[in-house]
This record gives sequence, C-alpha cells and structure tokens, in this order.
Amino acid sequence: MNEQLRKIAVIGGSRIPFCRSNTIYADKTNLDMLSSVIQGVVDRYGLDGVQLDEVVAGAVTTHAKDWNLAREALLSTSLSPLTPGITLQQACGTSLQSALMIGAKIASGQIECGIAAGTDTTSDPPITFGRKFSQRLVKAGAARTAKQRFKAFKAFRPSELKPVLPANGEPRTGMSMGQHCERMAMEWNIPREDQDILAMESHQKAATAYDDGFFDDLVTYWGGVSRDNNIRPDSSVEKLGSLRTVFSKNARATLTAGNSTPLTDGAAAVLLASEDWAKQHGLPVQAYITASRTSAVDFINDEGLLMAPTVAVAEMLQRTGLSLQDFDFYEIHEAFAAQVLCTLAAWESEEYCIRRLGLKSALGSVDRSKLNVRGSSLAVGHPFAATGARIVGTLAQILEDAGSGRGLISICTAGGMGVAAILER
Amino acid sequence: MSTSEYRHWRLEFDMDQVCWLTLDREGESANSLSNQVLSELEQIVTFLESEPPAGLVLQSGKKGSFIVGADVREFEQVESVEQAASLMREVHDLFNRVESLQFPTAVIIDGYCLGGGVELALCFDYRIAKNTDGTRLGFPEVRLGIYPAFGGSMRSTRQIGGFQALQLMLTGRMLRAYQAKSMGLVDQLVSPHAELRWAARRAVLKGRKSRGPGLIAKLSNWAPVRKFLAGQMRKQTAAKANPMHYPAPFELIDAWEGHGNKPLEMLDEEATRNARLITGSTSRGLRRVFWLMERLKAQGKNSDFKARRVHVIGAGVMGGDIAAWCVLQGLEVTLQDREMKYIEPALKRARKLFTRKLRAPALITGAQSRLIADVEGTGVARADVIIEAIFENAEAKRELFRAIEPQMKPEAILATNTSAIPLDELSSVLEKPARLIGLHFFNPVAKMPLVEVVLDKNTDPGEVQRGSAFCGQINRFPLPVKSTPGFLVNRVLSPYMLKAMQIHREREVPMEALDKAATEFGMPMGPVELADTVGLDVGLNVMGMLGGEDAAEDAKLLKSYVEGGKLGKKSGEGFYKWKKGKPVKDTDAPEGINLQSLGGELMAPYFEECQACLDDGVVADSDVLDAGMIFGTGFAPFRGGPMFYLAQKEAMHSIAESAEIDVPEEKLNSEEEKKGE
Repeated sequence: MNEQLRKIAVIGGSRIPFCRSNTIYADKTNLDMLSSVIQGVVDRYGLDGVQLDEVVAGAVTTHAKDWNLAREALLSTSLSPLTPGITLQQACGTSLQSALMIGAKIASGQIECGIAAGTDTTSDPPITFGRKFSQRLVKAGAARTAKQRFKAFKAFRPSELKPVLPANGEPRTGMSMGQHCERMAMEWNIPREDQDILAMESHQKAATAYDDGFFDDLVTYWGGVSRDNNIRPDSSVEKLGSLRTVFSKNARATLTAGNSTPLTDGAAAVLLASEDWAKQHGLPVQAYITASRTSAVDFINDEGLLMAPTVAVAEMLQRTGLSLQDFDFYEIHEAFAAQVLCTLAAWESEEYCIRRLGLKSALGSVDRSKLNVRGSSLAVGHPFAATGARIVGTLAQILEDAGSGRGLISICTAGGMGVAAILER
Repeated sequence: MSTSEYRHWRLEFDMDQVCWLTLDREGESANSLSNQVLSELEQIVTFLESEPPAGLVLQSGKKGSFIVGADVREFEQVESVEQAASLMREVHDLFNRVESLQFPTAVIIDGYCLGGGVELALCFDYRIAKNTDGTRLGFPEVRLGIYPAFGGSMRSTRQIGGFQALQLMLTGRMLRAYQAKSMGLVDQLVSPHAELRWAARRAVLKGRKSRGPGLIAKLSNWAPVRKFLAGQMRKQTAAKANPMHYPAPFELIDAWEGHGNKPLEMLDEEATRNARLITGSTSRGLRRVFWLMERLKAQGKNSDFKARRVHVIGAGVMGGDIAAWCVLQGLEVTLQDREMKYIEPALKRARKLFTRKLRAPALITGAQSRLIADVEGTGVARADVIIEAIFENAEAKRELFRAIEPQMKPEAILATNTSAIPLDELSSVLEKPARLIGLHFFNPVAKMPLVEVVLDKNTDPGEVQRGSAFCGQINRFPLPVKSTPGFLVNRVLSPYMLKAMQIHREREVPMEALDKAATEFGMPMGPVELADTVGLDVGLNVMGMLGGEDAAEDAKLLKSYVEGGKLGKKSGEGFYKWKKGKPVKDTDAPEGINLQSLGGELMAPYFEECQACLDDGVVADSDVLDAGMIFGTGFAPFRGGPMFYLAQKEAMHSIAESAEIDVPEEKLNSEEEKKGE
C-alpha cells in the first residue's frame, strides 16, 4: 500500500443506446445489457482476455437470481475469468458510487484498474409471490411426508397467489419520486415553463451531440438500435406545454411526462485506472476524478427527497476549497427538470445555504450555458443504475474534447441521498 | 493416453473419468471433416471402444464455431463413382461405431454446426446447444449438388421425422439454436450466460439420452405417408428447380420415399446416390459457384474500412432499396431527395422489407429508427459512404457532386450507382476525381448479391478496395469492373435480349418459346421476361448506348412500346401482360419448337459477349466473369458459369473427336447445329 494518494484516471466509457421501457429492449435482461457494456469497454480499449482488478456494478430493478450480477455479467465477456465482480447498489447513484469506490482503491494503491457499470430495465420487473404463499412453498419443500406437504397449504386462499410487483416509490412515504419532486417544485416555486425549457434544451443538445458525432465512440450499436430512442430533436416548449401533469391533480402541479425522465432500459460502463496501468496498456487518460462526496437528507421529516445533492456538492466544495463557479461544465442528473431547478435555486438561496448548508452565504448561480452541454437524462433516458457511468463517460469525453477543464457531477437518488464528484483534465 | 498423438484432436480425462474430445483442426480457422480428421477420429474411437471411459463429450476447439461440414476442397480429389461410394461407406461405418459406443455420449454446440457437423452430432446420445445469435444448424449440402452423405439422411429423418428432416435437407435452411431444439435436432439449450461444459458433464454423468421423435414425426416415416409427402415435395421442388439440372433434391426424395424407415437401406442409398451426384457435372458446377463466391468475398478483405453511416441521395427504386438494405445490415442511413413526398414511398417499402426479414417488432422498430429521411442533406457531412442514385443524367450528377464534395468527410467513399454514364464524365468536376467509384447495385437489391465496383484508369485503387470492403460489410459480393459501356452484366445481357427480340420479330417465334428455351438451358428467366422485368425504358436506354446498327429495328419496336406506356412489369404490360407480379403466358405456344436448338441460338450472343468482355479487360479473368454472370444474372449455376461451361464443352468436344464417339444431344449446346447452318 502506498503512502501517497495516486491520481484516479478515467480512461473512458462505453454504453448501449437507451430505450424507453417496453419498446425495443423489452426482451433484454439486465445480464444481457450489463455484459454488453462491459464488453463494449473491453472492445474499445483492447482488453480481450485481460484480468482486471475489479468490476463493480449493479442494478436497481433486479431479479433474485441476479444476486451476483456483476460477476455473472463479466463472466459472459471476454475478460479473464480471474476478474472479481462486486455487485453494488445505491439507487440512481449506483454506477457513480461504483466508480468512486474503485477510484478510492486506485488512489490508495490497493488496485490498479476497474470497470464501474450499471444497468436497469423496467421492462423485466421481478414479479414474485407474496410472503404468505412463498412461505407455504418453503414449508412444502421441506416436508418429508405427504401429510406434511398437505399441511403446508392449510387455510390456503386463492388471494395469496396475487403477484407482488416492484413498487416505484419510497417504501416509507408510499409516494413516488415524481410525487415527491412535485412537492419540491411547489416549495421552491419552479414555474412549469422553466421546466419545459430545460427539457427542450436537453433534447436539442442530445440530438445535436449525435449529429456532431460526439457519441460515436461512447455509444455502440446494440439490439438493432444506434441512438437513444427517447430523444426528440424537434422538441419544443409548445409541445411540452400541451402535456398534462402526471403526479398531482393539484392546480399548481407542474411535472409532466415531458419534463420528467421516462422509465428506461439500458446500461453503461466506464474504465478507471491508475496512471501507471494506463501507460502500461498504452491507453490515454480522458480525465481524473479529483473529489467526491455522498450525502443524505431527512426526507421523512420534510426535507425534499431529491435535495441531497445540494448538501453533497456544498460539502465537497468546502473540502476542496472551490467555489460553485470554478467549473467549466456541470453535469446535473435530470431526474426531473424540477429537481435540477430546485437544486440551482437552493444554491442561489442565501437563506437555504446559511440555514441548511451551514455556509456563510449563498453558493451562487451556475452558468446555464455550461450545464449538461450534451443533453442529459431527460433526453437520453434514465436506466437508474446506469446513469452514473453514463455521466462519468460523457463528462470525460467532454473534457477531452475541450482539451482541459473541470466538471461537476451531481446525482440525486431515491431514499434521499446524493452523490457528487469532480472530474478534471 | 497422450494427447499429443493427434494433429486435429485432443483427448482429456477429468476426475470423473469423462473423456473430453476436442476437435481443433490444425492450421484451419474452422473445423471441417477432412480425411485426416476422420481417420484420426477412427483411431480415437478404436481406443475408446477398448478402454471405455465413464462418458464422452465432443466439443469444438474453435471459439464460436463447431464443425462447418466436410472439407469441400477434398471433393475435387474424388476420381470415380466407386471411390466416392467407398469413402462414404467408410464414414458410415465410423459414425455407426460412434453411435454404438457403450457409454453416455454428449456433444456441445456453439456457433456454426453444418452438414457433416450435424451428421456427427446426431451420432451422440445427447445434443446441447448454446442459444446465442451465432449458433446455426443446417444441411447446406444441396447447394453443392449432393445431399447429406455421412449418414445424415438416415439419422435426421429418424430423429425428427421425415417431413421436417427433408424440409431441412431440401432447402439448406439454417436453424437457430432454439428452432433446432423445438424441432428435436437439439435436446437442450443453454443460455448465453451459462456454460455448455457443465451442462454436458451433468448430462453425461446422468446418462441423458435424446428423447427421439414424437408420434407425428414417427408417423411421417410410415410408408403410405412417405409416398404422399414425397409426391408433394417433388412437386414443390420441381417448381423451383429442374430435375435435369439439379438432381440432388430429387435423389433424396426418392431415397427417402423408398427406404425411409430402414436405416441400413437409407445409408446404402446415400452412398450410391451421392457417389453419382458428387462426380456429376452439376455438383462440380455448384462447387465451383461456392468457390467463386468465396473469391468474390475475398475482394472485400483487402481493406479494413468499416462504415457506420451511409448517405444515399435519390430515394427512387434503387436508392430507396439500397438505403433499406444498408439499414438491415446494421448501419445508420440518411436518405435524401428533393422533398419528403419522394422519400415516403421508399420508407414504406423499407418497412415492408424490415417486417419480412426481421419479424420481431423490436427489431423492426430499431431498423426504422436507423433509416432517416434527410431532405436537407445534413447526412452528407457525417457519412462514411455516400451513394448517389439519382436519375441518369450526367449534368445533374455533376451538379450534385460539385455541391457535396466540400461538405464530405475527406475519408468518405463517394460512389455512383450509374449503370450507363462513364465514370470520367462524372468525376471531372471533383477536386479529387480519383476518389469516385461506381457501386452498381442490381434490382431487386435485397435479392441480388452482386455489386459491380466500377473504376477507370484514373481511379485510386485504394478506393476500389475500400468500396469492396464496404460491399463485404453489407453482405454483397463486390466485382471490380472497368468503366466501359454496360460494365459487365448489362453489356452481356443486352445482345442476349436483343437476339431474342430479333428472332421473335424476324421468325415470329413465340415469346413463350424463347423464354422456355432459355429456362430449359438453366437461366432463371427467359430474355423476354427479363426485358419486361428490367423495364423496357431502361432497356431502350441501355440499347442506345450499346446496340449498334443491328439494334435499329428493335430499338424502334421498343420505343413504340415505351411511348405507348408499355414499360414492362412495372406498368403491368410490356411484351407480356403482367398480373400480380407474374407474366401471363400462353403455355401452348412453345409446342413443336426445338427448344434445345433455340436455346443454343439465344445463348450464343451471351457467350460471345462474355468473351468480348474478357478480351476488353472489363473484368480481371474468366473466373471472376463467371462469378459476375452467376450472381448478377443467375446464369445457370449448375453449369459453373458461362466461361467454365464453354471450356467444358471444348474439352468434351476434343475428347469426343479424338475418340470418334457421338456426343449425346443433351451434352451439346446447339452451337454445333448452328455452325452447320
């Protein structure tokens, strides 16, 4: 182990196009997608048969049989089977957190390289039996005699067969992400039009990025698709304005299907390494991870569910001594347009920064021309666990294209957590 | 047992005493059952019979590929019917011994498992296949003029029933793993995320055996059912292939009808019939076609150019279909025309093609998302390949090239689909004229595998190689041709169609007779039907360029048709009236006409023009010319190509002359009779 901390190099990312759930990827599994994006990284960087130190990956909507997802996925690639796979999950922060954990081990000298990845498909939800019936099956399986087997189904009611579907919401509040975000939007008074404009810009920037060839190395053709199928190049404020609100019947509601991310299927991966390893393998470094912070908010007791990134970023800035304006690019995951705008409003609010973030004054404004310059989740979609790796890969590419610079990453997650990181080149 | 004893096989014994037999053919990228491979297998089987292991698993040492069949190259070394039959019987004996091994056997299949590979697999107790995209099982033998000769006709009919087995063997269809499983050819599927090796171990240790045919499959091997089905199959096959030209499928049907439920007799028939077939001229011709196809495909391997995006300008019949075909091959394509309304029909046709070829709604949607209508032409700047397919007007094309050259990526390929305009008339306006090539596709694009890659003396040879590589990428066969009028295909077809018109006009020979004479020779369709299919307006255009004075009368006739709106198939009437895509023919018309000699007359200009093309250096050599004519015009494949056929005839003539024997009618083209006229 090293005495000195080493730099964490981001070599680059690879992902498959994202598709709205129950469309083109309806038959694909998490295992299919995750192994494909890991293979994508292997193909892009010539790692056929290579043993990596770690692959850290996960999925949010996952099947019980995929308990060892990361390891199983990498065994289906051409990486050496001597590569360990660690399955990790932190809701929408999954693959960013994976990258940070690999990064920390690289920095401290414990490992030389690793792939961080994430996958999700809501087209393939894990549907199970309820607890009562499952327990009957367990009893029946353990039974030795016909009588015991029979006894396992004592007082059985057909209603016990009702399947349990995974819920898309907070277990403790019983509300969905969208409903929580609607409350945030109302609390911060984010106008509907501002949300729609943000959404439209995301679509336009993503479409232009494809047309410019920006995604040529990042996105591989897969499953018959070459582009994220949620992108609307012809998105407009008028079209978005005509949509009805979907999370609340309240007259003040502002969240629609257009300014919220759709349920999406997809996966993404990113390769991280020490500088030595990169040099040994002749691989150029796109950017370095230089800071990170994970935070949580008390959403049960009325903090905004998706406000945690405000805390993570603030704490990270404090530790690094940077100001909010010291960045050339901002990648703020667009869980909802309102979430992004609430976050920006919070940083501009003197009251919030002093009271909640413990700062001396407001963090200030973010230059909107530097925000999500190649589009983000509202346009390309948001397969929960894949978004972190998508953003790291995208930002690293943006920095490489720019030659140099500093980028801020901010991702909110279910359960009221936030993950932030800084990439520099 | 030392594993280094064999050149192509490896034997390993695990801790359960199971023998793992790996075929890894030395010096080859794919496994095929050559004589050496089989003789080593014989030694291995002898050893295993004397020292039986707990079980045997057969696997391939070639990643992603199992066994692709027998070694076709060795077919050429067979010198007599007796030798062929004896070789096949030896393999039958060997495979019988494999089948009779007294311990559990299993075979694991990942990748291509064709012909002899399936035949060997059928000798095992249990077959496991990996359900990946790359796994295919099938019997392609019919395409080489024989039918499965290593016991496959007996074992497949026994395993999955005569009906299904015959369908497979007659069509040469390739099954995916899950299809093979539901047919019963394969007993177990393993997911792409699971391991064949461990499934095989389990199967062998548990002594798993294949379930064998179900009731219906068994019934189809029953004599009266066989008789009925054989009759049906004969009819269906005859509709697609003339038994005179393609005997193999009919031999298979006969064998099965007569002996379908008697294994030993089926094997005997296999050896007898296939020995005849393999030494026959059809099989020789078809093997040559296979080799020619490989030769053309190899043209595309001289460059590692790979396209991601294609831009097609002109959404007409050709442009639209070229765009759709490229999308089907996984590319992103922008399709440009003056207005959206000109692109719509192409999009509609594309949707039909995708639906037909892709079936799965997800794949169809994906394909549609990759075919992008582009009125503004924004795709030009991003494309790796630009194909111009606008109307045949040199000035219009030059204008277009002038406009787009500055927008193009410097490394992009610029190609024109022109069938008539010389390359240098188009390249003159370019800053870099050497970059322009022709990529001449044939109609219908989805069915015609040939692409003429047009070049002239100024063309950069590197561009030709890149263009050929692109053809390979989209699964087409590239054929480099010199930029001369008509290139190869149209130039040869023109006098052929012209001759037919002359005969029809001068001697009032009915059109149906002309067409029948040609199809009896082996052409896929006769010259008159061909003219209608190509389009009389197109024909007129081509004739304008190629036809000399002889053409004057016929040109007048064509012109009158065209002006009267009779354009052929596409307008519902040309020489023939067309109904539902088929010409309305008077079947009695060919009565009383010597179709053999007529066929000779018709084909004479075809052959002459082929020779002229060779003399003019339009293509590199006669093999490549044969390939072009087979894949571009469907020239009777069983004859091996026009130049090959002529050479064969020459050889036979000289043999006959020196031996002073009468060469039977059907072996002679009536060139002889014509010479005598």
